[in-house]
Amino acid sequence: MTQHIKIDPITRIEGHLRVDVEVDNGRVSDAWVSSTMWRGMEKILQERDAREAWLFAQRICGVCTTVHAIASVRAVEDALKLQIPANAEYIRNLILIHHALHDHIVHFYQLSALDWVDVLQISRADLNKASALAEKFSSWTRNSREEMKAAKDKAARIVDSGNLGILTNGYWGHKAMHLRPEENLLIFSHYLQALEFQRKASQVVAVLGGKMPHIQNLTVGGVANAINLDSEAALGMARLESIKLLMGEVSNFVQSVYFPDSCALAGYYSEWFGSGKGSDLYLAVPDLPRDAQASRFDLPGGFLRYSADNSVGQCVKFMDGRFRELVTEDVTHAYYRGDKALHPWKGETVPEFTDWHSDQKYTWVKAAWYEGQPAEVGPLAQVLIGYMQGHALTRKWTDVALDQVSSIAGHRIGLEQLRSTMGRHLARAIRAAVLADLAQEHWQLLADNISKGDNSVHNPPSFPDGEIEGVGTHEAPRGALSHWVVIKSGKIKNYQAVVPSTWNASPRDKNGARGPYEAALLGTEIADAEKPLEALRTIHSFDPCMACACHAFDPSGRKIGTARDL
Amino acid sequence: MKRILIAGIGNVLLRDDGFGPCVVRMLAARYRFGSDVEVADLGTPGLDLIDYLIGRDSVILIDSVKSGQRPGTILSYRMAEILRGQVAPRMGPHAPALTETLLMMELLGSAPADILLVGVVGESYELGCSLSEPVRMSVDSALDAIVCELARLGVRCALKQSCMEPENWWTKPLPVQ
Repeated sequence: MTQHIKIDPITRIEGHLRVDVEVDNGRVSDAWVSSTMWRGMEKILQERDAREAWLFAQRICGVCTTVHAIASVRAVEDALKLQIPANAEYIRNLILIHHALHDHIVHFYQLSALDWVDVLQISRADLNKASALAEKFSSWTRNSREEMKAAKDKAARIVDSGNLGILTNGYWGHKAMHLRPEENLLIFSHYLQALEFQRKASQVVAVLGGKMPHIQNLTVGGVANAINLDSEAALGMARLESIKLLMGEVSNFVQSVYFPDSCALAGYYSEWFGSGKGSDLYLAVPDLPRDAQASRFDLPGGFLRYSADNSVGQCVKFMDGRFRELVTEDVTHAYYRGDKALHPWKGETVPEFTDWHSDQKYTWVKAAWYEGQPAEVGPLAQVLIGYMQGHALTRKWTDVALDQVSSIAGHRIGLEQLRSTMGRHLARAIRAAVLADLAQEHWQLLADNISKGDNSVHNPPSFPDGEIEGVGTHEAPRGALSHWVVIKSGKIKNYQAVVPSTWNASPRDKNGARGPYEAALLGTEIADAEKPLEALRTIHSFDPCMACACHAFDPSGRKIGTARDL
Repeated sequence: MKRILIAGIGNVLLRDDGFGPCVVRMLAARYRFGSDVEVADLGTPGLDLIDYLIGRDSVILIDSVKSGQRPGTILSYRMAEILRGQVAPRMGPHAPALTETLLMMELLGSAPADILLVGVVGESYELGCSLSEPVRMSVDSALDAIVCELARLGVRCALKQSCMEPENWWTKPLPVQ
């Protein structure tokens, strides 16, 4: 019997991710991923002054404000062939790194951990054993018996109250949850602590960006931070030192808590290295430029193709030359008019809604292609590409992670097994550890450059009369982000944002090739069709973010997932 | 950290969803506040809302709400009513909204003592930077609701002698052709 399961959390006005899977004999036999909201923000930008594009782009998404702002100024600067001062690169890099660390911490603890941690089992945990377990993994100072007790009491209070509050909707007691009580408690205690450190990451962004959640310090040609070593009001030594303190606390949490927790979870659930593979093509854009010329990058980019027998194919490094030419979007299964794949500079966004038809149009997400094929983006892509290219920090943290996971699992987990649901989580933790190291490095680059007497932060733009084209890329927390702009006499003529979730949540293309989410769901075991936890685990491993949209409070509450038999 | 937060929530690119940001900018243009009040446009922060609510005594949020009532109607909600909303499954960083934010803060024991949500029933959530007519006509009512709440909390605010233009950069006309 084939069952059709629809996971659809929507009745709010903005629209979200919807997942439809067909389950045959307990396994996913087909999958459709759709976004129920029109992605047409680009239209707002047409005819606007190119210098202001980033202010609007920053509002595309309320969670990833800074990433859109940065990609947008980079696109306009690329069109103008305008270099920005080294200080501006470093300040932007520190903002990007801390936005990413914030995102990765939130994703692991708030949005994913409870797919694996059974809160109802915590009451059975032995406090001494939990504390000893924690100390085995890490030297984190907040793993004491007292900390464990506080977390256990919090869990007990909410469970005993009969009203699970924020913990409602967890698939507690599900067959696929199999941590021991102490392991559940350990990660739950860090789930509670994580909020404090994700806030500190945001504070770094706020100090440099002037304000959060919408930074104010960007400008086409650089940043608007005044640099003066001796001034309290400007960015000087006093403020740099205060940032460094916050950065140290965030890095410590990432490397001493989030990273070991991810390794532990991956070791306990090592069977999830065998599920959720996804695409054969991976894509990442280089980021964190080290100089004003943007000639060297600290985060590697490229693409990587595995052949059908899983041997590694070509791995090509690019700055942005190939990327610039080879990206297109196909709308065969998306609610837009058009019949051929278009390059983003020529991209059209003309809606044509037809309702959900599995064999025709079923989503508002266009299918993004690299060289005519779907590709997976995100931390996994970046880690695989970095590792293949011999990127030192990626190798260092990946090797530590794989050793740690293998030792907990009791059998060897290799690099190629990262191509899986659990591998995506682990790759995100590896990337976070790499970024925490790079944060210190880019802080030092900034401090050294300022100490040399370089205070410049901005090169003024000048717009030619004719038409120019640019692309701004950023390796965002969810992967390769690109903003594509056509400017005519200083005003925006066309604008397209190809966001990471466009790549990963791509529908089938005209050749029937599935996007990464859909491909990853195939073959997933579903123990209970009423509680499709396994499908959620795989979707969550991508860090999905579909909304880029509005949020109205719905006092009547919402209806959630339904299942029906076909 | 200022103990009182007045925050507009919503996306300024989706017409009436921009009500919250519009109201707080109008508020900042018309009124002066003491040093214990922060007025902020928070956009659509999802679960990150916690970062802005933590450590506050009182919070006033302005947002658009979904309801069967006439567009432009102003509705107010207190903590208990907000917590009654259902919790959605975690499908992404946006999914945790106001109800989830406050429940999470309850779990941590750090929810603000006082919260008021001033909501407007929207008419249009289409792409666009301008409020619909009935919603635009309700901006003053929302300001009154905020000023009333501040009086109840015993917080001072005073009309500015000369009103400034609100800084709604997103509603600026397009550059001349």
